Amino acid sequence: MRCAIVGSGLAALAGYATLRRGGLRPEEIAVFGTHEDPLAVWRGRAAAIRQQRMRSESDGHLAAAAFPGLALRETVRRGNVVALAQTAASRYHPRVEDFVAHASRVVERSGWSTSFVSRHVSSVRAVDGGFELDGDGPFAHVLLATGHPGLEHVPGAVHAYEPHGYAPKVAVIGAGMAAATEWLNALAAGSEVVSIRRREPLRRPLNVPRPYFSKRGLASFHRLSDDARTKTLTDLNQPSYPAGRAWDVPLERAVATSQFRVSDSCLTPVGHQVIAATGFKRGWRCDSLLADLVAGHGLKTVDRWIVLAPDSTIPSLTDDKRTLSVAGVAGQWAFPAADTIAGAKYAARAFLRNVCRTR
Amino acid sequence: MSYTLIGRIQTRLLAAAPALAVALGVHRWWAIELVALMVAVGLVLDVLVYHRALPYQPAWLAMPLGALELGLVYLLMHRLGIMVPHLRFAVWLFGLGWLTQQVAVHAVLPRLRLEYGESGGEPGRAGKLVAVAVAVTAVGGLAGARAVEPPTVHIHGTVQGPLVIRHAETLVGGVVRGGIRIRANHVTLRDLTIVGGTYGVDVEHAQHVMLDRVHITRFTLDAVKAMDAGVMVDHCSVSDPASELTTGVLISYSMGRPMSMVDHCTIVGTREGISTHSSMVDVRNNHVVGTTVRGISLAEMSMDHASGNHVENAKGVGILCMDHSMCEIEHNTVTGATPNGDGNPSESGVAIESYFYAEATVKHNTVTSSPGGVRAFDDSTISSG
Repeated sequence: MRCAIVGSGLAALAGYATLRRGGLRPEEIAVFGTHEDPLAVWRGRAAAIRQQRMRSESDGHLAAAAFPGLALRETVRRGNVVALAQTAASRYHPRVEDFVAHASRVVERSGWSTSFVSRHVSSVRAVDGGFELDGDGPFAHVLLATGHPGLEHVPGAVHAYEPHGYAPKVAVIGAGMAAATEWLNALAAGSEVVSIRRREPLRRPLNVPRPYFSKRGLASFHRLSDDARTKTLTDLNQPSYPAGRAWDVPLERAVATSQFRVSDSCLTPVGHQVIAATGFKRGWRCDSLLADLVAGHGLKTVDRWIVLAPDSTIPSLTDDKRTLSVAGVAGQWAFPAADTIAGAKYAARAFLRNVCRTR
Repeated sequence: MSYTLIGRIQTRLLAAAPALAVALGVHRWWAIELVALMVAVGLVLDVLVYHRALPYQPAWLAMPLGALELGLVYLLMHRLGIMVPHLRFAVWLFGLGWLTQQVAVHAVLPRLRLEYGESGGEPGRAGKLVAVAVAVTAVGGLAGARAVEPPTVHIHGTVQGPLVIRHAETLVGGVVRGGIRIRANHVTLRDLTIVGGTYGVDVEHAQHVMLDRVHITRFTLDAVKAMDAGVMVDHCSVSDPASELTTGVLISYSMGRPMSMVDHCTIVGTREGISTHSSMVDVRNNHVVGTTVRGISLAEMSMDHASGNHVENAKGVGILCMDHSMCEIEHNTVTGATPNGDGNPSESGVAIESYFYAEATVKHNTVTSSPGGVRAFDDSTISSG
């Protein structure tokens, strides 16, 4: 067994599909996780906020190669070119059901279940020849795809990513994509909605500006000093949701009828159901495996980020013979949009390069 | 996609490979020059405009940017004197280059190189090699084209002919009295006026001959005579013949040569305007006025295509397909064809005629004030396709 993936969510599946595309057999890869279905956790959250469309675009799928994208697949399947026209204008966002169906096919075809080992890994240690995972191994190459370290709960509130309904009066804490989705959900359910937020949300199509998805923006990002990079990441992590009439029209209509209002108070209004659209806990300290890894190997960190090489590897634990990579949200030091599918693939592809280099 | 500058350049070169391969395949210098020009225009725009103005380039921009590049290529093609046989060839080649670029960027490269998008369009080591190979081939081809390009001779004022051309060359400007005889391949006459001579231009046993904006007057037999030749006659003007037995453009016995073309010529007052015999000729967009026997004659087992011509006031016949020829005659306008007065029905002001075992396919022509109409004689046929 040469490679191990720690985690069994979307980032892990993206990594697995990429390794398989790179020529590794299922027997050469072990996937350690708590859910055999890599979509299970994500699907539950998407269902909780009643998400219909992905924020990602046509290439936001989990197969290794970007082409064919979901827009082309939809065009072929449904026999119209609307999806292609939308993707040409960067306005295509796949249906959640299409994304899930495609991801399920990736799971099925990639041999994921052959490699899956149902086990929670709590410790990674560098040893001769690679890494031991809770004493097992060594594995020459390990991809850490542990995902978000948990929901950021607010006392007395139901989290947006947990199953919930809508009371006649709803207060939504947050200003990101999940919050905006909850505003519309609650309005559609006939609720009166108060948006509690500290700042006006940014409006942008993707989590971060588009140049940060390619070398064009990443090259300068990687050249930043630690302080400047920390500031950039903090700025980029501000909550945002896309611009567009689909968001604005219902809100404007609700404002006009006093069904929707904004509050910057820290106090939630009395008599309201409180929904915390506050996302996830942040930083390596909240992830027990990463915290153990940092402590065990004295890894360099800056603020809440583990310092990574531009290829998402941990520099002090990666050399010509072994690789320790970080995918998912914990990989932001290398790729600001690490918690997106594009981010998962970025780490996975770099990981594959390292694996291939040592074959 | 958010391209890096290197990504833009390498992708541009890489995607030009199919168009360059076609250009090399057709064995024409103009094609190689055109592809090199397309690439050069694209690279200049990449470096000076696109990279700065487009930190992110959505896919739909490929259309307007492609149109912009096509316009610039077209302008520069004329400015640099790249002689494309017909504009549609240039547009086709440009379209091929544009299309392959889209296919490469959106399908092939992301499929072959997983990191293509996130690396800002940089195609990787193999892609870089191909890009360099394309650049070297294009530059080499361009250098080759320039190296073997015939010398250009500029004529100032009036020279006394007849001139005899026995080597490839380009003759530009001035006035030649007594005609020009062309006996070599790859000869171009451009912006010339030819006065007098039995033949204005006499081409024999030669091909890749181009007559571009040549004006011919006072000839006694044919303004342009091409025998066993492949010629392109573009934007010529023929007028004021010195006898009554003249033909504007006569192309004969050239079946074994590359197809000839007579395009955008104005021919006035000859006995026949354009005449072909045993040849393959594309006769298009010409204006033939006041001929005394036939406006356009496609004869003797020729295989010709006549389209977009305007034949006016022809005596006898407007457009004639004759003697076992096979002709496609479409989108022409024939007005005012008049009988020649000898009572022969086949010369009685027939606008479009098929004669003596000829097969004419006739579509979308406009015929006015021509009493003979559209007719077939002597076991010939006229069909509408």
